[in-house]
Amino acid sequence: MPNMREIRERIGSIQQILKITNAMYLMSSSKLKKARASLECTEPYFYKLQSTIESVLEHTPHTRQLYFDRREDIPENKRKKGYIVITGDKGLCGSYNHNVLKYTEQKLKEAADIDNCYLFVMGQVGRMFFQRRIQNDKKGYVDGEFLYTTQNPTLYRASEIAESVLAKFEKRELDEVCVIYTDMVNSSLQEPRTLRLLPFERKHFGKAADGTMKKLPKASFMPSPEEVMNYLIPQYAKGIIYGAMVEAFCCEQQARMTAMDAATNSAKDMIKDLSLMYNRARQAAITQEITEVCGGAASINQE
Amino acid sequence: MAKTFHLEIIATDRIFFSGEVEHLVITAIDGLLGIMAGHEPLVTCLPTGELKYLVDGEWKYAAISEGFIQVMPDSSIILADTCELPEEIDIKRAQEAKERAEELLRQKQSIREYYETQAALNRAMNRLKVSQKHFK
Repeated sequence: MPNMREIRERIGSIQQILKITNAMYLMSSSKLKKARASLECTEPYFYKLQSTIESVLEHTPHTRQLYFDRREDIPENKRKKGYIVITGDKGLCGSYNHNVLKYTEQKLKEAADIDNCYLFVMGQVGRMFFQRRIQNDKKGYVDGEFLYTTQNPTLYRASEIAESVLAKFEKRELDEVCVIYTDMVNSSLQEPRTLRLLPFERKHFGKAADGTMKKLPKASFMPSPEEVMNYLIPQYAKGIIYGAMVEAFCCEQQARMTAMDAATNSAKDMIKDLSLMYNRARQAAITQEITEVCGGAASINQE
Repeated sequence: MAKTFHLEIIATDRIFFSGEVEHLVITAIDGLLGIMAGHEPLVTCLPTGELKYLVDGEWKYAAISEGFIQVMPDSSIILADTCELPEEIDIKRAQEAKERAEELLRQKQSIREYYETQAALNRAMNRLKVSQKHFK
């Protein structure tokens, strides 16, 4: 039986942790509310953008446009692949970071040559993880200048990211670009997902929410298809990155809220168990003392 | 009443407008463009600018920043970064943004920074223009 002082100290320390997890739970639930609202506002745009671009592309005449260039002359193992990975800035959010990191690792393994993989990691946790990993086995490449937070996504940040990635694509420093982020399937299920950003391919667009796009035989482009595409594609990249950021931020808050709620509950359970143990120990001590007193008294009486 | 078509204006932060309109006038990259029901299929880009649409015989105005439009004979979709009614525009904020951009333009910047600042200035001035023109 552990002694009373030890149990009391343990209960005290658990109570301290409980306070922290509970505070974090409250904070993330209020942040989640905000993130949810912004997700709901952005989702129509995110899905409409994908479906509209898809239908626009169906009617785009084949152009020798830079962003459509699949660069098939480059063999598979020489292709430079860029991944924009969206992780959290902080830990303590259950398996959220773990899932997206594991998913990215798997993608890197699938890639033909890991030395041609370029990671653009958003969020502290992911950056630390990949930097450490790469220091150990010197494979892959993390862009050290790519420093963006995932807190409170803004359109401005998304456009900066889109511009820097597009510029790299134009300079042929990258041949393919994907976005890896966590998608909110519903409030209890979150899944890491990949979204192909560049080069543009007609089949690589996600399904629209409604899926009812009208077919039009041919559309005219003003002033010219090339001009429109030059303008449209950065716009699309920006929109997709922004959407992914909002989606991921919401998932992070959701994950943290669930994790902290679970932590608070298990802390409460532990305190309950420990206080039972504490009471037993106290009772045992009292009983022992009484027995000792009685024993002592009995031996005095016998004399 | 004139023939109407369905118009959707979706900004990144909300669905700005969705409904039947008679006439839509946008500022495309190469000038003003009027769209009515039965327009030929068209895709074009919208730089920062002003747009107006006719609902029940009344013109509605909005300030829009960077987007594109897909026109079909019976419906149109505008996807834009932001879209605001003249009365929603925060004049003070736009004024501040304008001054900040002007300040930055006076300094030495890289070409990329220069373009970004110019775009910011453009947005601020467009907001000011639209709110001064239609909201007094």
